[in-house]
Amino acid sequence: MSIGLRGGAAIVGVGTAGLGEAAGFSTMDIQALAVREALDDAGLSLRDVDGLYCANMSHVFPALTTLEYLGIRPRWIDSTNVGGSSFLVHALSATMALQAGLCDVALICFGATLRSSAGRMVPAAEQPIYETPHQPRYPMIAYALAAARHMAEFGTTRAQLAEVAVAARGWAAMNPDAFERDPLSIEDVLGARMVMDPLTLRDCCLLTDGAGAVVMTRPERARELRKPPVYFLGGGAASSNRAVSQMPDLTVSATVESGARAYDMAGLGPQDMDLLQLYDAFTINVILFLEDLGFCPKGDGGRFVEGGRIGPGGDVPVNTNGGGLSFTHPGMYGIFTLIEAARQLRGEAGARQVDAPATALCHGNGGTLSHQATVILGTGDTL
Amino acid sequence: MTAVGPDAAFRLNVAEGRLWLQHCAGCGSHIFYPRVLCPHCGAADPQWVPASGRGVVYSRAVLHRKPKPGTDLPDTHAIVLVDLEEGPRLMSRLPGVAADDIRIGMAVQGRIEQTEGGPIVVFDPAEGAV
Ligand SMILES: [Zn+2]
Repeated sequence: MSIGLRGGAAIVGVGTAGLGEAAGFSTMDIQALAVREALDDAGLSLRDVDGLYCANMSHVFPALTTLEYLGIRPRWIDSTNVGGSSFLVHALSATMALQAGLCDVALICFGATLRSSAGRMVPAAEQPIYETPHQPRYPMIAYALAAARHMAEFGTTRAQLAEVAVAARGWAAMNPDAFERDPLSIEDVLGARMVMDPLTLRDCCLLTDGAGAVVMTRPERARELRKPPVYFLGGGAASSNRAVSQMPDLTVSATVESGARAYDMAGLGPQDMDLLQLYDAFTINVILFLEDLGFCPKGDGGRFVEGGRIGPGGDVPVNTNGGGLSFTHPGMYGIFTLIEAARQLRGEAGARQVDAPATALCHGNGGTLSHQATVILGTGDTL
Repeated sequence: MTAVGPDAAFRLNVAEGRLWLQHCAGCGSHIFYPRVLCPHCGAADPQWVPASGRGVVYSRAVLHRKPKPGTDLPDTHAIVLVDLEEGPRLMSRLPGVAADDIRIGMAVQGRIEQTEGGPIVVFDPAEGAV
């Protein structure tokens, strides 16, 4: 039981910067702009930050470089890197550190300039050496293999995968910060260039620049700040493998465990969630996570998303910012699940605002279906 | 004397045309990739044993590269995961089978193929398989 962590901290500030293209600026530049926005959002300053959480794909010591750039001397830092899910782990760890008194104001931040600098994913230093001789293309190979297996085992169709991309685009059309906002149909997705069978270009996330920042503090202080606190209600993480070829079952992710841990801590279940932010690096991810988080039985995810059910106007709002598929995807996306959930729970999401949500589930995936982390957030009414 | 670690031992076997796996005396599991401890029970000193090479395609994905300038020839590269009869799963390819003809569930037989990067384990359709 984790009675001490439910409601043990709150998100009090969120910010983004450099979304899309940030030519001329470095990873650290746009990250600092996102930090500035998040601190302004909270009504705090850099001097208040004494806890720092960082992960990225460009720095071996991201927290050290970040604190130097920002000119801060946090008394607690943590650069746990488990891929794109890192920032959800950071939210859980920050809640622990805040409750333990290791810090009073925790800053979680990330930035990357994939689009303008390299234009492609930077390969991880740690490669699965028994896979690389066969020349797989990472990270896509893992998701194409998972999709193919899901299709063979459960009859999931490419049109059902396409529903995920179409729903994301529907939300993105209402988000002025989204990178891709033009209309997208099932036929468009199916007819797009095949990248890695069974996935077309439109089944794959964007490759953009972008930075995000989240500020957390203890509830007593959160209530004195500028915006309504968004409370941490539960969190969990799980992993069994680094390489996709070592994953026991490609149709069942460790989300089953991370989600169960988060629900248990929050004392809530899937039926209690008002909106979902699920890291959609590829369309198959959303289908896997809906199943593994208990929104439908294993194998039914394809049928679940049919008919626009997770898009605008559907009964299960998923990735209301447009997700990694249409909003932004600077290589690691997890922090944006927290940012969008906070904006929705505060009622700040503009045209895409879901009607008065009280709870949100954020889920991040890291590596090649290697690590999963789930965080449940809620308004003051959920405490 | 020079120690031969698990990775080097696997590669030495492959270089000599042998697909061998580690086997754990503690729990009876076969192990891949090679390790010094069994990932199923933690026992040390797994032993090398010949593998049947028989397996089944667990999944497959096909990379479609952009056609080279001046051509519209499809340029595809199929990757498979194979579940070996002994239990372990590995990533590999079926060099003799067209990408569209690779089916999940098809029976395959391993062999060693020489490549520029050295010998590697690949698979062919099993004898008599459809
Ligand atoms: Zn064993």
